[in-house]
Amino acid sequence: MRRFAYYPGCIAEFSSKELDATTKHLAPMLDIELLPMPAATCCGAGDIAEAKPNLYLTLNVRILSQAEEMGVDILTICNVCTLNLRRANKMVKEDARLLESVNEELVKVGARPYEGTIDVTHLLWYISTEEGLALLEKQGPKGLNGLRVAPYYGCQLLRPSSVMGFEDPDKPQSLERLITALGGEVADYEAKSSCCGFPIILAREQVALKESHNALSQSRDAGADVMVTPCPLCHLAMDAYQRKAEAANATEYNMPVLHLPQLIGLALGIDNKIMDFKRHLVPMDRVLEAVGA
Amino acid sequence: MAKTTFDIFRYQPDVSDAHYRQSYDLEHEGDFTILDAILRLQDEQDGTLAVRYSCRSAICGSCACKANGKTVLACMSQVEDVKKEFGTETVQVDPIGNFAPLKDLIVDMDPFWQKFKSVKPYLIPDGPAPEKERIVSKEDMQKLFRESACILCAACYSECNSLAADPEFVGPAAFAWGYRFAGDVRDGQRKQRAKLYTGEHGVWDCTRCMYCNERCPKGVNPRDAIEKLGGIAFQEGRSMKDAGARHAKAFLISMRTGGKLNETVLVPFTDPVKAHFDIPFALQMIRHGKAPSPIPHRIQKLKEVQKLMKNVKETI
Repeated sequence: MRRFAYYPGCIAEFSSKELDATTKHLAPMLDIELLPMPAATCCGAGDIAEAKPNLYLTLNVRILSQAEEMGVDILTICNVCTLNLRRANKMVKEDARLLESVNEELVKVGARPYEGTIDVTHLLWYISTEEGLALLEKQGPKGLNGLRVAPYYGCQLLRPSSVMGFEDPDKPQSLERLITALGGEVADYEAKSSCCGFPIILAREQVALKESHNALSQSRDAGADVMVTPCPLCHLAMDAYQRKAEAANATEYNMPVLHLPQLIGLALGIDNKIMDFKRHLVPMDRVLEAVGA
Repeated sequence: MAKTTFDIFRYQPDVSDAHYRQSYDLEHEGDFTILDAILRLQDEQDGTLAVRYSCRSAICGSCACKANGKTVLACMSQVEDVKKEFGTETVQVDPIGNFAPLKDLIVDMDPFWQKFKSVKPYLIPDGPAPEKERIVSKEDMQKLFRESACILCAACYSECNSLAADPEFVGPAAFAWGYRFAGDVRDGQRKQRAKLYTGEHGVWDCTRCMYCNERCPKGVNPRDAIEKLGGIAFQEGRSMKDAGARHAKAFLISMRTGGKLNETVLVPFTDPVKAHFDIPFALQMIRHGKAPSPIPHRIQKLKEVQKLMKNVKETI
């Protein structure tokens, strides 16, 4: 059993509770023990970095230090959290003076200083390696019954590769490996690692809806039954805002969107009530029918 | 000797309006860049093939193009490396994206230069000039080290997702230069620059696709510069002046009051008008359980965070 400090991120805890619930249900089946982080803050989602860069760094190092105290690495289920935590980690690991100055601030407020020993990984990275796929195989998955799945990576789990580094950002294959291993078919398309627009969707909605159009229209044209994403922010842009994107781009997509653990959950046959598809805005009926769930 | 097929984007407006592709075979040494290939083809096979280049040493920033879809400097990119990276014997060469082609690999850079000029990419000191030179400390110069390395090749614009969706977005290189001067201790226009860079199509329009950081051949990290300009805008009192700024401000409020994102604050705070009039969408979100919780979230040890928010000084 691999133990992780579990950092679901704000969206999975609030707007997209179905992601958190499915992850927690799946964890033991994937040989993972998820340890809660009750004093962890939001990672700032790039917004705090864009307003107060030093504060962003200090808050994220505080989170890393909490995991270090627990003696385990951090597991995330969100692209944006992964980037923010990994970036802060890289910054202080590569600059001893910077780490020292951040630690001074942490100690001043009674927080634990960070020693720089923790790694941050995403569930997709954990499960799409050979060992991860073997864990799935052990569960005897009933499979996806040839479901055509469009992988949608988004941006921040791939780029910048100097911070993320799990796979080639121009030829990612982790979702493809997972889809194939679970008995699905990959519906490939170019925009799978383009931006969903979510970071600016509240402030610049019309621009953001042009961005999500790329992946939604191309995955539809590639004949996908469903899209899957490792990021709850991408999920909101692709699912919750899909009808708006249709209106803005004068087209129809009708593209149901799965969170990564829901794709695994469908293949392993876990209870639909746990995955709570009613919380999605685009109906999942045709997907459930196709996999016989 | 190696052998490669080059599949090149062609556009010859003097002859026809059509865009087409043309293949050329070339035998070449192992140590051979994309630019070497284009120039050899021009010399030996097709004098009409057009490319913009100058220094051949990754300094002038003229020869950015796409090799197998990925934006590179042609003079810095080895043909054999590209083939190996993509597992192909053919190398596709295209002009950079997000610009209109003028002829073959040459694009119209006018919009790029206009945006570059719009950020006032030069020092504007305040007050009368001192008798001697203005001394800048090593530490102060170090802050601008990355941005100073920009060669204006526009590789960062080529795959910028914000620019693709909004052609008026000022964009990564121009903002890197913006920070190069806004962050310079000799400049006297910090407040004015903060205003100039944060209107519509400004720093808050960056969608954070991170392509600029990924593609920059000089390690400028333009996205990081955009982030620093956001920080300067906050220091210069612009945190309530734009929906993008208020979006960031809502994160700070959430952090102080609960430690986690408070969606009840985020949506109406970012755009109060839209939040009031977008009722059908709000109802849909509520119906699917996506309504924000009325009870604010509160992490353990929130006091630590509140103290950090008071103590940590920004140094941009």
